[in-house]
Amino acid sequence: MSRDGWRKKASEDDGWGGRGGYMAAKISKLEEQFQKDAPREKQKDGMSSCIFSGVAIYVNGYTDPSADELRRLMMLHGGQFHLYYTRSKTTHIIATNLPNRKIQELKGEKVVRPEWITDSIKAGRQLSYVPYQLYTKQKGLNFTSVCARGKQDPSSSHEPSKPDLNHPESDSIKPQPSHTQTLSKEVLKSTHANHKANFTERSKHQGSQDTLLTNGYVHPVNGALKPQDSFAELQLHVVDTGSHQSHLPQTESRDREESSCSSAGSKANSHQRSLISTASPAKQPGLHNMQKDLHPKPTFKPGTSAAPQKGNLHDQKRVRLNGSYHMTPNSSTLADSSNQPGRSGQGAEAGIISEFFSHSRLHHISTWRNEFSEYVNSLQSRSRAAGGAVFSGKEKLKKLKANCSSGVRQSCILHVDMDCFFVSVGIRHRPDLKGKPVAVTSNRGPGRVAQRPGANPQLEFQYYQRKQNQYRKVPSNGVDLDLAALSMAEIASCSYEARQADVRNGMFFGRAKQLCPDLQSVPYDFQAYKEVALSMYETLASYTHNIEALSCDEALVDATKLLVELGVTPDDLARAIREDIKEKTGCSASVGMSSNILLARMATRKAKPNGQYFLRSEEVDDFIRDQPVSSLPGVGRSMSSKLTSLGVSTCGDLQQLSISRLQREFGPRTGQTLFRFCRGLDDRPVRSEKERKSVSAEMNYNIRFTQVEEAESFLTNLSMEVQKRMEGAGLRGRRITLKVMMRKPGAPVEPAKYGGHGICDNFARSVLLAQPTDSGQLIAAEAIKLFYAMKLDVKDMRGVGLQVQQLEGSYADPSGQGPSRGRSIKDLLLAKQPAHSPRKDPLAQGQSSVNRTEFFKSTFSSNQERVTPPSSPPSTSSDPMPGTSKGGLHHPHTPNHVRTYLNVSIEVPSPSQVDQSVLEALPVDIRKQVEQSWRHREEQPSTSSHLSTPPRTSSSLPPGPSLGTLVLQLPDQPGQPCTTGIILELPDFSQVDPEVFAALPRELQEELCSAYRNKGNAQAHAQAQGSAVEQKNPFPQLKQPAVGKLKRRYKKRNASPAKKGPSPLKKLFPGNSPAKSSPSKTLPLPLKHRLIHFKYIGCPSSPSIDVPETLSKLNPRPVPTLAGAYEFSDIRTLLREWVTTISEPMEEDILQVVKYCTELVEDKDLEKLYLVIKYMKRLMQQSSESVWSMAFDFVLDNVQVVVQQTYGSTLKIT
Amino acid sequence: MSETLLFSLKVVASIFGYFTMATLTRQDLNFGQVVADILCEFLEVAIHLILYVRDVYPSGIFQKRKKYNVPVQMSCHPDLNQYIQDTLHCVKPLIEKNEAEKVVVVIMDKEHRPVERFVFEISQPPLLSISSETLLSHVEQLLRAIILKISVCDAVLDNNPPGCTFTVLVHTREAATRNMEKVQVIKDFPWIVADEQEVHMEEAKLIPLKTMTSDILKMQLYVEEKTQKT
Repeated sequence: MSRDGWRKKASEDDGWGGRGGYMAAKISKLEEQFQKDAPREKQKDGMSSCIFSGVAIYVNGYTDPSADELRRLMMLHGGQFHLYYTRSKTTHIIATNLPNRKIQELKGEKVVRPEWITDSIKAGRQLSYVPYQLYTKQKGLNFTSVCARGKQDPSSSHEPSKPDLNHPESDSIKPQPSHTQTLSKEVLKSTHANHKANFTERSKHQGSQDTLLTNGYVHPVNGALKPQDSFAELQLHVVDTGSHQSHLPQTESRDREESSCSSAGSKANSHQRSLISTASPAKQPGLHNMQKDLHPKPTFKPGTSAAPQKGNLHDQKRVRLNGSYHMTPNSSTLADSSNQPGRSGQGAEAGIISEFFSHSRLHHISTWRNEFSEYVNSLQSRSRAAGGAVFSGKEKLKKLKANCSSGVRQSCILHVDMDCFFVSVGIRHRPDLKGKPVAVTSNRGPGRVAQRPGANPQLEFQYYQRKQNQYRKVPSNGVDLDLAALSMAEIASCSYEARQADVRNGMFFGRAKQLCPDLQSVPYDFQAYKEVALSMYETLASYTHNIEALSCDEALVDATKLLVELGVTPDDLARAIREDIKEKTGCSASVGMSSNILLARMATRKAKPNGQYFLRSEEVDDFIRDQPVSSLPGVGRSMSSKLTSLGVSTCGDLQQLSISRLQREFGPRTGQTLFRFCRGLDDRPVRSEKERKSVSAEMNYNIRFTQVEEAESFLTNLSMEVQKRMEGAGLRGRRITLKVMMRKPGAPVEPAKYGGHGICDNFARSVLLAQPTDSGQLIAAEAIKLFYAMKLDVKDMRGVGLQVQQLEGSYADPSGQGPSRGRSIKDLLLAKQPAHSPRKDPLAQGQSSVNRTEFFKSTFSSNQERVTPPSSPPSTSSDPMPGTSKGGLHHPHTPNHVRTYLNVSIEVPSPSQVDQSVLEALPVDIRKQVEQSWRHREEQPSTSSHLSTPPRTSSSLPPGPSLGTLVLQLPDQPGQPCTTGIILELPDFSQVDPEVFAALPRELQEELCSAYRNKGNAQAHAQAQGSAVEQKNPFPQLKQPAVGKLKRRYKKRNASPAKKGPSPLKKLFPGNSPAKSSPSKTLPLPLKHRLIHFKYIGCPSSPSIDVPETLSKLNPRPVPTLAGAYEFSDIRTLLREWVTTISEPMEEDILQVVKYCTELVEDKDLEKLYLVIKYMKRLMQQSSESVWSMAFDFVLDNVQVVVQQTYGSTLKIT
Repeated sequence: MSETLLFSLKVVASIFGYFTMATLTRQDLNFGQVVADILCEFLEVAIHLILYVRDVYPSGIFQKRKKYNVPVQMSCHPDLNQYIQDTLHCVKPLIEKNEAEKVVVVIMDKEHRPVERFVFEISQPPLLSISSETLLSHVEQLLRAIILKISVCDAVLDNNPPGCTFTVLVHTREAATRNMEKVQVIKDFPWIVADEQEVHMEEAKLIPLKTMTSDILKMQLYVEEKTQKT
């Protein structure tokens, strides 16, 4: 039937092909090309048709006519030609001769001789391919030929005899074909009437372009064949007949044809609200094809000539349409929608996560398990504390059964499971519903929902269907094509009466309603679930405390001891429990009993509904043999399909497999588990408390981002949620996993379910932290990093989840015994939002933060005397261009990367290193202090090694005073006044990062604040001085005549790090005294400032650090640089320039090189050091000036000393 | 840097003992373990190659293999291989905890005086996290560079005297040795404190071979060579 043709196309060409990357791109490009060429071909060749619409061929090997010719023919007649074979897209393989191997490969595909195409063209319609099959053994009849309804083509009577992968839904449709056929005419008529009205309405919108209009009509048909009512199937039919009839001029009159086509369109149009697809045509080849099919119809557009152009217009219009349809109200029938914020803010609103989780009642239910576990725990601990518990139920039973004793010694596990928990709770006060099919769902309407724009449920259905077919299972959740407009609310639970009508849990309500028209829906009643669950647990707890909570309605009870104590049979106990539960809750429970958990659960299955079953150990073998493997825990769809392929369907079959075989197939652990399980062996104990493996928060409802920032803030919020949960559980974790659901390429932008995620690809990425954390901010930072690393399009995000694994108990847990032990479950249950009772662990939080501040305090207080608060260097600009910094003493702007250098202290350099002019430029008081510190230094005899190295804590401070502020570090001088701090220069207040500021200790903050108040005057003062100094130091006074040289020199020097105390240089260089006037004095002022500035950048930690090791560990040491150069090649260039352009090396420069080499040693980069040394050796010893040779020897000697000190041996320089 | 304790597996290469491998109870995969796995694999390749390049054993016992996409030489003497494996097995827990500072392959002459020391100085970045962005292939490239350096290091080193033996030393950080005494990874394969003479060489020259810096690991290899080998 023609219906099949339509569906075929949609399913075959819908772009789900699982190839990614290059091939996918190539194929789609080829397709585009093909489609671009098609109209041209059509124009060239007068005769064209659409007989092959929906057919995509792949030519394999030599054919007559040739592949090229076939391609042309397909173009002409509305088909598709694939250069690459794709199982999902290609419908027919054209071949005249195939090797055996290929035949094997192509089993089940339609391999057809090329004559099929030529003959079809000759006949003017698509013939059945069956007679043209290359090999008769092929599985045929999957595809009923596309032909006109009413036309008595013999092949059209082929109903799909075997449900094919492509259209398994045909089965469910079959029962009603006659209905459809009879109705179709009516529909055509009625919609035809609609057509006119719509036409005029539309034309107002669009101006007067007829072609555009038709496009508009056609489009919705293709985009989302989505009627609002049970005409779903009908509609389909209409469209198909419409499109296909037009190929067959002989069957219908032109008039009829036109009306049917356009009425199909207008019908769709009348349902605009639900009919617009936002997907781009490129992503939906199937749909695009459909459009293509319809476009060239002569009746539609008499003057069809510029198809591509039309396509464009069409697209534009569609965009506009989408825009407008976004505003249509679409949530009227959705029960939950009232809770949700408007579409525009979806997923992006700040509080949405908390809101989501607090509204998501299902989420609550899922968290209950933990709570019930805790409840059991608390009961146990309470009874321990009380020195023994009172088990009321037990006492009662004892009295009853005092006389008889059966002496069961064996271990006995009871599995208590409420019967259709949600339903029975939902109807316990509604006796009228008892015995009727009832389903719990959020949908309260008639089971039909309006279609939303952008949705394309068919595609999704097909996708799910195909997915299910992978597992060779009957579609179980009733996903079906004709359900298009039915409610997508899932059934959480349904009564046994409903189950008899094939309604299943998890089925969409609309579908269920079809299967079982009497189905009554009951809303969720979370309060009641809570109450009933609690009373169930209370009941169980009145017997024993050996309970493992499985979920809110399911628990395991280890009754071994209890039975021995009471001397009753398990059956008696179960009966008592069930009666108790029934009495207390009004709901029935089933109990399965056996010797272990596995068997108990299996027994429950047999016990249901409302029964009990004791699986005796002697019966186990017989019992388990007939159980399907899928009933074993851990055997899901994929594993059961794998088992099926091994020929295993029951546990008995599974028992035939050896353990080694199983382990080979499923891995050592799973294999062993399977081996044991299928024999009914299970040694898992009933654990009242389960260790938590992970803490996570996930949200895949209503996620629609438009901007990256939204996603970021969402991640932050989600992290906070995770933090909340981790705090609640008193845990910290090391591994953070970010899971993202992305719209599958080609999937409809708007999924069928409102706010749902639709068809998605899942991505996950994780990161391992060095320390376990529960800090939301840390998690957020990592998550955002991961998110960027994944490089995803935020618009396609449909779900985000954060999971923290590798958990450890938070050390700050007050009780020290881990997960929220002492909490009463009752408090939790009674709390309105159990999962989110904001039980902040004040200690947990407090401690860490206290720790941090304490740390700050200690480090700061220890330095208080010598470390001044952050202040900026005269110029914080790191801009190496001398020009820009001229006069730029107080550049308020702080270049970005200055921020990254967080450690901002320098010590007072030795006087020889400080330009007098710089000093003069400093505010008077500072200058005094600096000078004083020099004086002080001179007074001490052992100057060289230790004077200038007060404990340099600040180099390892955490990112505290950033922003390029500079701390002037002075030796400890008790007598000195004003030791609290010298504020040199502050960055502009606007530049201060508030976070950083907030992270500073209080006293520092205060100091900074006052500093900012004073800043104005000081700045003006310094500025005046600075400019004055500059005038005093005009360029010509420089020793170095060449500007180029100067530049280089400056480069080299300013980037070099500060002088360190223990460097051997000082010893070797006694001339380096403050009295001696250094040539650097003559450097222009800005350069000098830069010198200071760069010094702190390149400053590595010196060995004299007296900070705790952990701190220095946290701060990666800066990479040693020479004049800002880091790469070896740069350094080489620098050195070469230095050696070749200057005849006599400056002492200072040599020292910088030595410094650099020393740092390389400290940085454990001997290789680079070796290369540098060897390079210098070559350079300098080649140089004609003997001074250079001496310079090299000097450098080498110094380096060797350092290497000797560090490694105990010297470098071998050959 | 705190005190450095020196430990060695002082087994003269010519006398092999056979040791049974005890099974390691693997903890959860963590960062240290990943690094240790990568590093130990590398060290095994490197040690074999050093033994080959430095002529500690006759070249006949070596076979050409491919590792890190470059040809390397690997001994096919089972006892020697076992010894190297066991040694590294014992080193691994140290690396995992970032307690090994240096792993040294000492080549000694007949009198057991060291003539060459191949020092792998290891440091792990203090604060880091492995994400899937940390590409193993990148690390492998760096390791390959070191392997290539080893294979040509004889160009910068003097020939060794005949009859050399080798031993492996580990310089540990801090008090790692205390734990090591408690836990013997492989039974009867304990660590002992190295002799002073093995550790120190007079008039040694230092030849840096290669430094690598990656996200997960920073390592440099240098050779200390005795000036007068004979």
